[in-house]
Amino acid sequence: MTATATHRHASPDTEHALRLPLTAAQSGMWYAQALDPASPALNTAECLRIDGPLDADLFAEALRRVTEEAEALRVRIEDTPQGPRQHLLPAVELPLSVHDLRGDGAERRAEAWMREDLARARDLSRELPFTHALFRVADERWLWYQCIHHLVMDGYGYSLLVRRTAEVYSALAEGADPAPRTFGRLAELVAQDAAYRSSEEFAADREHWATALADRPEAPRLAGRDALASRTFGRRTAYLPPATTERLRTLAEELRATWPDVLVAAQALYTARVTGRSDVVLGLPLMGRMGSAALRIPGMVMNVLPLRLTVRPSDTLASLVRQVVLGIRDVRRHQRYRYEDIRRDLGLLGEGRALVGPLVNVMPFDYGAAFAGVPARAMNLSTGPVDDLTVNIYDRADGRGLRIDHDGNPALYPHEALAAHQSRFLRLLEQLAGADPEQPLGAYAVASPAEREFVLDECNRTARELPCTTLAGPFESRARETPGATALREGDTALSYEELNARANRLARLLQDEGAKPGALVAVSLPRSTDLVVSLLAVAKSGAAYLPLDPEYPPERLAYMLDDAAPVCAVADRAGRLPAHGRPQLLLDEPGTRERLAAYPAVNPPRALTPAHPAYVLYTSGSTGRPKGVVVSHGAIDNRLRWMQDTYRLRPDDRVLQKTPSSFDVSVWEFFWPLREGATLVVAEPGSHRDPARLAATVAEHAVTTCHFVPSMLQVFLAEADASRCASLRRVFCSGEALPRETAHTFARALPEVALHNLYGPTEAAVDVTHHTCVPEETGPVPIGAPVWNTRLYVLDPALQPCPPGVTGELYLAGAQLADGYLHRPELTATRFVADPFGPPGARMYRTGDLARWTVRGEVEYLGRTDNQVKLRGQRLELGEVEAALAALDGVDGACALVREDRPGEQLLVGYTTGTAEPAASRAALARRLPEHMVPSTVVALDAFPLTPNGKLDRGALPAPVFSGSGRRAPEGPREEALTALFAEVLEVENVGPDDAFFDLGGTSLLAARLVGRVRERLGAELTIGSLFEAPTPAGLAVRTADDSAASGDALGVLLPLRASGSRTPLFAIHPAGGISWCYAGLASRLGPDQPVYGLQAPGLLDTSPLPSSLDEQAAAYVEHLKSVQPHGPYQLLGWSVGGVLAHTVATLLQEEGEEVGLLALLDAFPAEQWRERPAPEEGDALTAVLRMAGFERTSERDHADVLATLRRAGSPLAGLSDHTLARIVDIVPHHARRMREHQHRRYTGDLVFFTAAAPRPEDWLTPLAWQPHVDGTVENHELPCTHPQLLRDEHVGAIADVLAAHLEVPQR
Amino acid sequence: MTLTTERIHHDVAAALGEDPAEIPVDESLVDYGLDSVRIMTLLERWRREHGVQADFADLAEAPAVEAWARLLGAAS
Repeated sequence: MTATATHRHASPDTEHALRLPLTAAQSGMWYAQALDPASPALNTAECLRIDGPLDADLFAEALRRVTEEAEALRVRIEDTPQGPRQHLLPAVELPLSVHDLRGDGAERRAEAWMREDLARARDLSRELPFTHALFRVADERWLWYQCIHHLVMDGYGYSLLVRRTAEVYSALAEGADPAPRTFGRLAELVAQDAAYRSSEEFAADREHWATALADRPEAPRLAGRDALASRTFGRRTAYLPPATTERLRTLAEELRATWPDVLVAAQALYTARVTGRSDVVLGLPLMGRMGSAALRIPGMVMNVLPLRLTVRPSDTLASLVRQVVLGIRDVRRHQRYRYEDIRRDLGLLGEGRALVGPLVNVMPFDYGAAFAGVPARAMNLSTGPVDDLTVNIYDRADGRGLRIDHDGNPALYPHEALAAHQSRFLRLLEQLAGADPEQPLGAYAVASPAEREFVLDECNRTARELPCTTLAGPFESRARETPGATALREGDTALSYEELNARANRLARLLQDEGAKPGALVAVSLPRSTDLVVSLLAVAKSGAAYLPLDPEYPPERLAYMLDDAAPVCAVADRAGRLPAHGRPQLLLDEPGTRERLAAYPAVNPPRALTPAHPAYVLYTSGSTGRPKGVVVSHGAIDNRLRWMQDTYRLRPDDRVLQKTPSSFDVSVWEFFWPLREGATLVVAEPGSHRDPARLAATVAEHAVTTCHFVPSMLQVFLAEADASRCASLRRVFCSGEALPRETAHTFARALPEVALHNLYGPTEAAVDVTHHTCVPEETGPVPIGAPVWNTRLYVLDPALQPCPPGVTGELYLAGAQLADGYLHRPELTATRFVADPFGPPGARMYRTGDLARWTVRGEVEYLGRTDNQVKLRGQRLELGEVEAALAALDGVDGACALVREDRPGEQLLVGYTTGTAEPAASRAALARRLPEHMVPSTVVALDAFPLTPNGKLDRGALPAPVFSGSGRRAPEGPREEALTALFAEVLEVENVGPDDAFFDLGGTSLLAARLVGRVRERLGAELTIGSLFEAPTPAGLAVRTADDSAASGDALGVLLPLRASGSRTPLFAIHPAGGISWCYAGLASRLGPDQPVYGLQAPGLLDTSPLPSSLDEQAAAYVEHLKSVQPHGPYQLLGWSVGGVLAHTVATLLQEEGEEVGLLALLDAFPAEQWRERPAPEEGDALTAVLRMAGFERTSERDHADVLATLRRAGSPLAGLSDHTLARIVDIVPHHARRMREHQHRRYTGDLVFFTAAAPRPEDWLTPLAWQPHVDGTVENHELPCTHPQLLRDEHVGAIADVLAAHLEVPQR
Repeated sequence: MTLTTERIHHDVAAALGEDPAEIPVDESLVDYGLDSVRIMTLLERWRREHGVQADFADLAEAPAVEAWARLLGAAS
């Protein structure tokens, strides 16, 4: 049973109703609450357990008296023009409820009550900032719950309140007068705060923090990422055993520190190891009252301050604790400066811009409160908002040791993650308590023994016995078994296994005569072609290792590689491919070569080759400016190819596309896997790997089943090419860079029958060492997966200890696929290929420099780089090499390079120089020395490099490049004009001229895809990425697209994909009177990237075919079109104006076929009978309709030309319509008007969502209620304050999108 | 046993991990790393060994050796 006692109460100082400003500490809380007024996150709460008899009335009296004494509680927060004020109330009703819950589950019921109360947000302008409740849960057991908003109280304040309440109660219980009150006044806090903020100390503190944190590291995040503040937090509570607690105290004393210092050090160590950082900033909540009168004032004073620590594996606990002691001492000297102010000074205001990592909140106080001799034990329920992770540590004299609460933002730390962090932290404390504080920190393990066993052994059980073969051996077996099968196709020509083998054998024998043999190296420089395949096979057959030299590389680069690698000879298709070098060169097009080849027998050449011999050497970018050759053995690549076949099972009828340049390792499996397995290799045309449309054509033409994409290229391919042409595909492989989940989803939608495999591996480990098959339903980052055969993966922390699952570390690789090392670079090899401490004796591991973590399912996720190596559109490059190349130029004093992403998804390589060199000339010079992917998009000349306060290069402060067009000449003609405007729009560059090249203005392949899309949409002109490479200026493109009239139909076909991608059920939007659905583009963009939207447009915009004879006929045609996109319901339909009538008709037709219609939404569309008696419009009104399509009412426009001029002025895409189409619209508008007046409505089963353009109009008879007879559900009407043509403009389209979003079907899956 | 100023000075320096010569008697101990845990530790010891009556806030309000000596009626 529940009794509620509320008590009226009058304060002695009723006369002064004080209005005080908030202190800075309070303001911080006020703003936090104002950001999300409905959030209960700022409630703090505590529960005291009183084990013994208690007099509830006396307790209430004691609380009343303490409330009277504690001014900070008795406030109402008012929002005034001068900012928030606290109004000190002279008297308040004590918000206390008393509940007698004695009986079963009393404590549980009390707890549920508390949770519910704690989850209720407080409106401090209307209610008191605190609540009390007293629960009787047994005859002699009581729970006292108090919940106080953080704006008025902090943890220390609680302790003052509790002790005073106990004191007053105890006095009353004895019948004595309580001792006089000792609390200070709220006004003192406000005055103290004001005095500090105008003091010199304040300015000095600000200076201190600005300097101390100027070069701060990024906030360490155990979860590896940030999230928005949540309204709740997750909590795990644990107790450190008393014995361990005692040992930690003793250890602290030995180290001349306190136990909280040791706990802070432990948290710093844990954070450093889990985040892989040596420079960590923790958050330190401090009570902020030392030396001040605030010690006697319950209120909100506490502050959080950053504690910056350096943690290296070679340091000791003793030195780390000393660092903590001195660090905290330093923090305390400046502790009055507010955390919010520090963040503001550093420009870190706003969401997701964190300053500190985990908070370590040590509460050393035990209240020691007793109620008339009955002891009370406090238990915290909430300490306020948790942005990331807060570790609360309580020292309470209850004999249970330290209580440790891990509070986590649930958006970042699911329950299991929080539990894992907590148990590891406790285990670390155990280790610290039991070990010599002088041993290096690297000796302490973060992972538990079980976690260690999981990541080292279980995840790496990949051992597999394999036959002893080499790269080309299995191909020779195939040639023997299936000599007549097609081995290779290029364009119209094909080679059988027998033919290919014969050609390769002759060349191999010739190469052997030139010195090729196991252990030697042969350079191969040919563009993608049959001859390239023959040459690579020939080198492998000869026993030598091949060194691919990409003919597209600058001669300087090729010369370096030839010189560095010293091959015994080189093969090229013709003279001039390779710079002069002192080695024999075989030119395949020379008659002499052909004669020599013909003289050799076509049988397999003999060779004394073992799996330990090198198979190929690939050059990769080198951080010091020198590219390095990676030597991979036959055994390594053979392991990789055997695993691939076992996993993906290529069959003789498979066709594998070879499109990767031979200088990249992906090409190795493209070349050799199909040929080893009896399948067919399809050679793509040179250059086509950049062009989605040409690739799609090749896939279709050759019925390709297997191909590879770099993820960013896959994205472009899916956006630009018609994936439905690729029905022959069975599997697609991705590697080279992180595969975004969104791309995987888009892939699954576009090619639902095709498997998508994500592979990972550096050149140093025989192409790929991990694999993951994408599952369409999965979310979150796409893992790089599990190790391949005979391969071990290690994710290690800075101490080279294994990271537990979920914890980020550096990825190391070990096993059969490791490269031998770097050619002629033993020192470099020794730094990257190191001893494997977990493998058999003598085993090596390769340090990838990649950040990664294990998932609990035993797969690895890739998370970025530890160094300056970057991947740009799948290609690996060392910024150091670009920098070295820049610095070597005349006139360059200093150089730096980085990959910027100033616009999301748009990565640009940018070079920076100081000195006298002209930036454009520097870029041009680099293009002569470096491969294309390493040439910066632009070079920026600076007077000086920005530096951090301690003199290091401040990469973050390097300016974003400003691209500007030359604007030398004005565009001529509407097409050139429109293209110039589109360039400017897509590139976000000013002053573009018709002769400016796309790629000089910061254009990337991804932006190119966007431009092509816009050109198609606005100009109706078909354009491929390839044509943009060939004619990269607006003027050039204008010429190319000028007579491309057939293709301009794209945007005028019946089905207009406004957004073809997205996982949700599509929305079909039917055109208004003019027949064109472009007007829905804005709506489509507001419905978000996951919502596909298709427009349906009137047939006949492109040709002169007769218009449908009725709306029923027209709707029936639309049904066919929408079924081609979505074969079955539920369908979602929308229509504006006559489109609404058509949508209704389409809906009824679908329902008659037994299909489900999930949504029918009409935009200001009225049924036929509302119009029947009114005259249909004639041609003049058609021009009105065209204007209306663009959102304008017709004013002074008299004819065609006037209308087009208006559209052009407004930048409307409709201005680009051809005369034919405009003439057709002029027919279509009255056609619709006439057919509508004849139309007979069917009955729709379901509800109708209606939007009325509610501005007054002449047709005042129109009403959505007229639909009721044609709908057997309800008509849900939304009125928008606009005219009919304004409906899809401005804010109204947003309002419509919001309503629609609530009705639209959520994902199909 | 009565608490002397010297004893206070010595104990404070020990709690701060410093030599007494490093800790001036008339300056705020907060600047030398005094925190609530150290005050509580000192207070507990002085209550136990010297029967001191003061509470945490009394000490924390004026955190300096001389001020504490006056507060605790220490013999010099």
